[in-house]
This record gives sequence, C-alpha cells and structure tokens, in this order.
Amino acid sequence: MSAEENPAAEPAPVIDVQGDGRWMSQECKDAEPDVLFVGDSMVQLMQQYEVWREVFSPLHALNFGIGGDTTCNVLWRLQNGELENIRPRVVVLWVGTNNHEHTADQVAGGILAIAQLVLSRLPRSKIIVLGLLPRGEFPNPLREKNAAVNNLLRASLPQLGPVQFIDVGGSFVHSDGAISSRDMFDFLHLTASAYRTISTTLHELLLQMLEEMPQERRASLV
Amino acid sequence: MKTWLCCCGAHWTSSGVMSEDANPAATPSPCQDIQGDGRWMSLHNRFVSDSKGKEPDVLFVGDSLVQLLHEFEVWRKLFSPLHALNFGVGGDATQHVLWRLVNGELDHISPKVVVLWVGTNNHGHTPEQICGGIMAIINVIHQKLPHAHTLVLGLLPRGKSPNPLRERNASVNALVQAEVASLSHVSFLDMDPGFILSDGSIAHQDMYDYLHLTPQAYQKVCQPLHERIKSLLDKHAP
Repeated sequence: MSAEENPAAEPAPVIDVQGDGRWMSQECKDAEPDVLFVGDSMVQLMQQYEVWREVFSPLHALNFGIGGDTTCNVLWRLQNGELENIRPRVVVLWVGTNNHEHTADQVAGGILAIAQLVLSRLPRSKIIVLGLLPRGEFPNPLREKNAAVNNLLRASLPQLGPVQFIDVGGSFVHSDGAISSRDMFDFLHLTASAYRTISTTLHELLLQMLEEMPQERRASLV
Repeated sequence: MKTWLCCCGAHWTSSGVMSEDANPAATPSPCQDIQGDGRWMSLHNRFVSDSKGKEPDVLFVGDSLVQLLHEFEVWRKLFSPLHALNFGVGGDATQHVLWRLVNGELDHISPKVVVLWVGTNNHGHTPEQICGGIMAIINVIHQKLPHAHTLVLGLLPRGKSPNPLRERNASVNALVQAEVASLSHVSFLDMDPGFILSDGSIAHQDMYDYLHLTPQAYQKVCQPLHERIKSLLDKHAP
C-alpha cells in the first residue's frame, strides 16, 4: 500500500491545538546511541521508570517517544531530522495504538513504512517492532484491532529483512478477559512492574542482536 | 430555579451545582468514549468500587499530574503512609472531575483532606471559566464532605518556551487564590518551585514532555505538599 493510498503512511507533524508547542519542542538529546527507541507514549513513559536506567541506559539507548503519536507523526519525525547525526545499531519501534482514524490494514502499512524508512537511512541497522498491546479493562473493538495489526505485522515484517517482531502483550489479559490496573494504571499505559515484565524479553533480544553485529568504528576516534 | 452569580462569572443553584448554560468548565460532564475502549468509565467505576471499604485520610483527585504521581516511588514514600487514595484521570478537565465526584466517587469515604489538582486540560475555556469549574468542584466536595478540608494545587507552567497556556494557568491560579482566601475549609498551594529558567524555558529534566513531571520533579514539588497535608491532618484531629 503506497502512501497515496494509506493515510497511516502519510508523514504528518502534530498540529499544536493546545497552544504550547510541546510536540515540536521535543528534540534530539544525546550523542551516539547504539539503540534508538521510537514511538508513542508506550516508549516515552518507559524512560521515566527505573527500568530504563537499569536495563536500557547501559545499552546506550536514546528515547524518541512522544505521547499521542500515530504512525504518521513518527514517520514525519524520522524524515525530518531525528535520524540525522545518529547511527544506532538497533531501532526499537513501538507505535500504532493511537491511529484511531485508521483500519488495522492501514496501521500495519504505516508501521511497515516506518521500518522501510529506517532501513533505507540506516542500512546496517536491525529493527525490533513491538506488537500493539491489548487495552481497555474489558474486551472491546480496540483489542481486536490491535491484535489484527499484530497478525499483519507478524506476516509481513520478516520480508523486509533484518526486522524482528515481538508480541509482549501475552500476559496482560486474564482468563476473565480483564486487564488489571496493576499492569496498566489506566488500562492503556503500563505500570513500573509491567514494564519490568516486558523488558526482560526485549532486553534479551537486544543483547542478542547487538552481539551479532560488529561494532562500527567511530570515525572521530581514529 | 434560582441561581446566584459568583464573582468568577459562575452561576450557582440551590443544589450547589452550576447551571448548564453558564459555564462549560463547571457543568458536570462525563468523558465521551471516542476511542472505543471505555477506559474513562472503567477508571471511574473502579474508583467508586475502590472507595467502598477503604478509609483514606487523604484523597487526591484531578488529572494526569495526580494520576502519574501514583506510579512513582514518591507516592509510596510520602503519601501511602498518610493513607491516601488517588483518583486522578489523565486528560480530565474540571467538568470531568466534577461529574466523577457528583456521581459516586465521594459517596463511600470521608477523607479529612482532599487534594485537588485540575485545570490545565481545560482547552478553550477562559481563566474565569476554569476558576468557576474549580470552585464548583470545591463546592461539591464541601456538600458531600462537610468536615473535609480541600487543598487546591496551583496549575503549573507548561510548554518549553513562553506561550499563552502559561499565562492562562497563571491567571487561573490568581483567580482561585483570591476566591478561596475567604473560605476556612479551603486553602491554595502554589506547586511551582521555579520550573521556568532565567531564559524562560522549562527543562526536560523537570517536564519530560513540557507538561508532565519527571520523578525528580515530583520529588521537588511533593516535599512542600507533604508538609502542608500533614499540618492539615494535625489540625483536623478531633
């Protein structure tokens, strides 16, 4: 699905409806990350918990998550500067749950478009795409939609090459179909303990990928 | 129905609830489930059922600045020991908090102190309307919990650089502070330890998205808040 056909793959900055320009302000911070996390609030909030400092900072990770972002917003950001000057070896992508105007097909297409963009700008990098989590206290249409996106990604991402898909949402829905506020304090965003749960799998995969890749020589060190 | 006009431009009825046509920020309104997963109502229902059988001394109510506080270490260290409950919902504006309090969240508990932090999400409302919304909430709390003291927290500045929302929030604070000065069951606490730097910017180390507080920033603002709550609890002792 090309960008002309898929609105979820159409790069778009966030329009400042509130009036304080916060989206545009969130910019590039650190120097030479090995791992780049990019996405929505699921990514952004992770950095505020201890788990980031303990598990991901040691991997020289940079966090480009912005709450509320859709695939369009992430695409725009990556096309408009956020990939300049950095060469992460692994990019972790977690976005799609905020694409309320789009179908599951369109959302999956948007995520694919982002992965393709990353690979074209960073040809030697690998990508980890995190599956969309279930949301809402009880079964609801958004859970079905997110699951459908995940199924599409599972099928299509491997064809892009060095892209791995992982679904970390398995443990959150209990046998009665409910999600606990101990895992998602507002039935969307993760608590500290839930982030710890998903971080184990993610961390292992990151270590594995980083080990498989020869470290690039930094030109500045020569 | 007879209504009274308050200096904030808010209209009051004899039941204490704002009349509908006057101020949207003071008209109890549930959040519409636009996204489709019913989370707002889930949270409200959980708060109502959570409140049965619990005996909090302190109730925190408001928007994401309240809600997120619960997720960081500072809550466990400073506020759990005070037997506090947290009824914060991200995105809530004054009319949403008002609806929640009118519809059950205060019905099964008698906290001694209610900490209210809301107003920054009232987009499209004037400072006078937002103040009216906050006063409406204070009024409902006083009706339902006549012995409780309400501590209203000042709205924080937001955005990386100077912008109209900072001015709006500062105006709300000035209006609210003036309104509550004459009320013995309410007090106001300015929560800004000086987030705006000399160049007018706010640091992302304090607000990671120039709106929400980092854990370090919460530590900074919660110390004085903790002290104030403790002194209110001490005064409240029978």
